[in-house]
Amino acid sequence: MNLSIQQVGKTYRGNHRALQDFTLDLQPGILGLLGPNGAGKSTLMTILATITRPTTGRVLWNGADIAKTPDTLRSVLGYLPQNFGVYPHLNAIEFLEYLAAVKGLDGPTARRRIAELLDLVNLTESAKRPLGGYSGGMKQRVGIAQALLNDPQLLIVDEPTAGLDPEERVRFRNLLSDLSGERIVLLSTHIVSDIEATATDIAIISAGHLVAHATPEALLQQVEGKVREWVVPSTELNSAKQQYLISSTTRRSDGVHIRVLGDRAPAGAELVSPNLEDAYLYALSQHRQSAGATA
Amino acid sequence: MNSPSFPVRVLYQMVRADFLERTRRYSFLLTLGLSLWLGYTVYAGQVNLLLGQYKGQPNSAWTGCVIGLVATVWLSLIGFYIVKNSIQRDRETGVGQILATTPMSRLFYTLAKALSNLAVLALMIFILAAAAILIQFLLQLHGGYPVRILPLIAPVLVFGLCALSVTAALAILFETLPILRTGVGNILYFFLWIALLATSVTHIEHSSSSAAMHLTDFTGLTTIMSQMQSQVRALDPVGYQGGSSFSVGGLTRANKTFVWNGIQWSPAIFLSRAFWIALALSLTSLAALFFDRFDPARSSITAQIRARRKNIQPQISHAETASIPFHQSHTRLTPLRHTASRSRFLALIQAEFRLMARGHSWWWYLVAAGLIAGTLFAPLQDSRGGLILVAWLWPALLWSQMGTREARFSTGPLIFSAPRAFPRQLLAVWAAGVAVTALTGSGLGLRLLILQDWPALTAWASAALFIPALALTLGVLTQSRKPFEALYIAWWYVGPLHHLPRLDFMATTSQSATPGIYATATLALILTACLWHLTRRRLA
Repeated sequence: MNLSIQQVGKTYRGNHRALQDFTLDLQPGILGLLGPNGAGKSTLMTILATITRPTTGRVLWNGADIAKTPDTLRSVLGYLPQNFGVYPHLNAIEFLEYLAAVKGLDGPTARRRIAELLDLVNLTESAKRPLGGYSGGMKQRVGIAQALLNDPQLLIVDEPTAGLDPEERVRFRNLLSDLSGERIVLLSTHIVSDIEATATDIAIISAGHLVAHATPEALLQQVEGKVREWVVPSTELNSAKQQYLISSTTRRSDGVHIRVLGDRAPAGAELVSPNLEDAYLYALSQHRQSAGATA
Repeated sequence: MNSPSFPVRVLYQMVRADFLERTRRYSFLLTLGLSLWLGYTVYAGQVNLLLGQYKGQPNSAWTGCVIGLVATVWLSLIGFYIVKNSIQRDRETGVGQILATTPMSRLFYTLAKALSNLAVLALMIFILAAAAILIQFLLQLHGGYPVRILPLIAPVLVFGLCALSVTAALAILFETLPILRTGVGNILYFFLWIALLATSVTHIEHSSSSAAMHLTDFTGLTTIMSQMQSQVRALDPVGYQGGSSFSVGGLTRANKTFVWNGIQWSPAIFLSRAFWIALALSLTSLAALFFDRFDPARSSITAQIRARRKNIQPQISHAETASIPFHQSHTRLTPLRHTASRSRFLALIQAEFRLMARGHSWWWYLVAAGLIAGTLFAPLQDSRGGLILVAWLWPALLWSQMGTREARFSTGPLIFSAPRAFPRQLLAVWAAGVAVTALTGSGLGLRLLILQDWPALTAWASAALFIPALALTLGVLTQSRKPFEALYIAWWYVGPLHHLPRLDFMATTSQSATPGIYATATLALILTACLWHLTRRRLA
């Protein structure tokens, strides 16, 4: 099972280049795709979900080009888009039955699968209510259930925790970890904690380019010895921001505790263990510096 | 903020923003194209304004009046469907909720929206006024009558802007009333438009100074026609027996001409126009009373009542959802065998049919059942020539969903990432539409089958195939329900209701039935829908 993204580019009308020369190989496991807003994550997701085609390059699913034979991937694809809708007059069972028919599942299999999925996402009791009366979090769970209808080998989830409250978010991460096993899960988000909890691999994307692709451990190693905590008076915070790359600030009674990234160490700063957010911001800043230098 | 110019500036900015948002959409090019096409139909002689056997010689006064009537009569109908989405856009984009948090009054908002509607329609009027000048200039080049600006543009601007101000206000009023906001409003407007025209034209033969004529003359048609009739009657008191017509592509041709002197502008005409503008302002004020100010609790009273009846909570609170364990049952998902998924076309049709038939009140089904029974048991002539017209008008709002549902509810990515979704899903939607048509017309179909009237049954079947094909194609092409709703009702009125040969797609009489044409058209429409769908997906 292999998904190979080879030098993929996507240009929209108005010559807006959302993706450029993007190359990545995916194996079973959870790949967390991290990037700032507008980095090209959703464009990549829609290409992989066969909704749109790349302008350049190709995507191979087990060696077959998905632009030429999209159905080879579609039959094993589960997709939860960032923005999706439901039919408000159908209930959850009817909506899932409809999508099961579209996906080609036979009647008995669809019914069994829908019952299991509704139980899994804990919507069994609400299954006969019209979807129009569901909350945002409940609709998101219906979205998760539909993505799993055909027991997908490739599961693409785009900003899945948007609209979920903190408790639901934790539960969703657990569900995703349980589901990974022998399938490729692609989780796109800009929330680092979602990735930190689940991903076996991380890809960082910025301005349509792949900035980094590594395991979380390898990414953390890159910033080992480069993260320091420094306490400054609040009056000096702006000055510190101009001089150093700062990943977080916390106001306490003794001043503002700031996490400084990079090789330069301010006087009085202490080395601390890096977290994934530090690694992500450091990788982004390194990429922006090199892109700036090239320009 | 307290400057007296503040409301004017805000009003200007609101109208401007709304106008720019509409005119910068690609679909607006179609609107401009429509104006140009209407101008062309006049130049090509496809618009017939006849007074018995007379028509006017193509001088500036005549051209101005013909273009003016095209502008007011046709744009007052088509324009409604073009602009009836102003509040809806604010609702869908979320801009409405931002506006609702400002101190702006409801009247101010509806006034701004009505003016924005009028600005769009006025642009179309200006294009037609320019077309009038261009047409006369071309005629002059070929040795015709000279260009005289005032007689050319005065009828277009005076009658056009006044009539369309009413259209603009009605569009806002319809958008503020939950029931008229939907396709029901689109269909009702057509009948309202017909009623307004019908009331107006009854006064044509009467005195041109009649107050009733001026106050019912929505489009200016009656004022212009009655003055023209007076002139022709004076010219040929014996030969001219009265009567007048205004049509596009009519078969009747004039064999006599007269020189039209132009409209005799009188205070009564301007007073009547002022009346219609005042009516437009009143309608806008009325709309403000019904406008919900984007309050979801007020947005659909009927939906709330329905929800209460079914004991549905409109919104489940986060506190409630948070208390439900997400993954407590440790359910194991049964692995599926990944053999090539079978094509479950029948199941898909069934699902699409269910989707199409959902969301209507019980009385909708009751009326549909009554119409089926009526077409089954009424005398055959009444069933075929009358009741079937209503039976196949009733599901118009079901058909208009076809091809638009995926865009409307944002389910496209879920559906079109499935294997072989195209063309299976598209064809399943059409097949479900055919099932709805066949079911609602089943009373007549069954009668024809029992009587073994094969030609009539073939015509019935061609209608059952054609109507959903038309709905699906228009839905796929425009991603909106309105074009089908507007075109279907207008076509239904012109063709089947008047049993007009070739246009009677319902084959309401043996003489007007042309099943071959509609079977071919069905095929062409389905192919167009498939090709367009495929092209759009490839371009995505």
